[in-house]
Amino acid sequence: MSARGYEGVVACCPVTEPYVRRSDHGAAWFLAAVLRRLCAAGGLAKAAIDGLCVSSFTLAPDTAVAFTQQVALSPRFLEWLPMGGACGVIALRRAARAVQAGDAEVVACLAGDTANATSFRDLLAGFSSFARDAVYPYGAGGPNASFALIADAYMRATGATRADFGKLAVAQRANAAGNPLALLREPLSLDQYLAARPIAEPLHLYDCVMPCAGADGFLVMAEDRARRLGLPGVRILGAIERHDAFPDDPVQLRGGWAVDRDALWAQAGLAPRDMQVVQTYDDYPVISMLQFEGLGLCAPGAGPSFVRDNDFTIAGTLPHNTGGGQLSQGQAGAAGGYLPVVEALRQVLGQADGRQVADARRALVSGFGMINYDRGLCSAAVVLGRAGV
Amino acid sequence: MSAGARGRMSAGARMIRLQRCAACGTAQYPPRAFCHHCLSDRIGWEEADALPGRVLARTSLHHTHEPRFRAHLPITLALVRFDAGPVAVCFLTGTAAPGDAVRVRRNEDDLLEAA
Repeated sequence: MSARGYEGVVACCPVTEPYVRRSDHGAAWFLAAVLRRLCAAGGLAKAAIDGLCVSSFTLAPDTAVAFTQQVALSPRFLEWLPMGGACGVIALRRAARAVQAGDAEVVACLAGDTANATSFRDLLAGFSSFARDAVYPYGAGGPNASFALIADAYMRATGATRADFGKLAVAQRANAAGNPLALLREPLSLDQYLAARPIAEPLHLYDCVMPCAGADGFLVMAEDRARRLGLPGVRILGAIERHDAFPDDPVQLRGGWAVDRDALWAQAGLAPRDMQVVQTYDDYPVISMLQFEGLGLCAPGAGPSFVRDNDFTIAGTLPHNTGGGQLSQGQAGAAGGYLPVVEALRQVLGQADGRQVADARRALVSGFGMINYDRGLCSAAVVLGRAGV
Repeated sequence: MSAGARGRMSAGARMIRLQRCAACGTAQYPPRAFCHHCLSDRIGWEEADALPGRVLARTSLHHTHEPRFRAHLPITLALVRFDAGPVAVCFLTGTAAPGDAVRVRRNEDDLLEAA
């Protein structure tokens, strides 16, 4: 049975608490800052928010439950979504269903984290029981080691080269030049990319994200309510998620998108060529290539030729990670899973000052999260379209 | 505990152990309290001096988040598929490349080492 569509619901008011390299503030401070920004952007009293989705790694020992008391909010719909790089797409999906069902009228979706001298190491050491037992003791490379093994297998299977990965990283850095929210805006050349020091071969410095602190958020509500509030909105044309897809694959060369992408495009009534903007979860460029393949932008294994055949800058053939992605904006923990959603909302709403893609009516957003052991477990994607188009 | 039992335990401490479900026969790694396939909790252990496998991918770590590993960089790791089925992250010694057969042992730190 095919899933019901997301008619009658919009996402609006993408906001960001600017990323910083390190912070003395805790995660709750960043989440509260985004909630304050959402109230201001939506022209809403805090009490008008009756639904809440929260994602954070460094909020521990607290969860979304404790956060409601910290900000004195009484939602009748509450989601705690510890889904890393997929949490933004999944929050949007959950929130839209809650609004459709009448379980909430206005849902605030938030993700954010702090960063300090020990937070990233602590996060890696305790990330999951499998990682703690069977990856971390082998050199504490964290996700770098696991993704290096995936990248090595992907290069051998597809013929991808470092220059292919570099093309994506260089294009994203060029896109970041127009984004005042990006922490890394100085130009990056392919030669610089190729000459960078190795981190976990075949991954080198510019394949890896820079951990930072920050937060992102957006609102989800009925389309007529947004209209009454005078808020421009973005429709959800199709959405999918899948967890632990293909558990028998010995190495992850595909994520869950391959299971559900036909349902996604059928629900949207659209095809990849109808997208003016694509945002992927780019914790490493190789993972963006898995998403291109998984979502049908190219055939399985054809990621390298797809990268060689396209220009991923703002004015290119396929504007991709138009704000610079995590590779240039920084990875603010769970906010990394919101960043592709928030950037896509800005593009479709025409609010991407300095990096606006011309005529960006529709966007594909992909999420990928939680490298529990040897692979990322959460895959998700959403097709967005400007309301009234 | 008798001296004999201690002796057997310390000898066994260097054996590599792989879980196998007593109900359905599925092998698994990392260890857990139930079978991922049939969900039975009748989990047994197979022990050997070394287990055969094949390298799926390899990496050399040049960076670590733990100070105690810094003196050992670069550290070479492999993703190894045991002939028995499961996949494990192992230290790699020697020159084995992806596709090559290796044997995996448990080292003095209780960690897996492929060569």
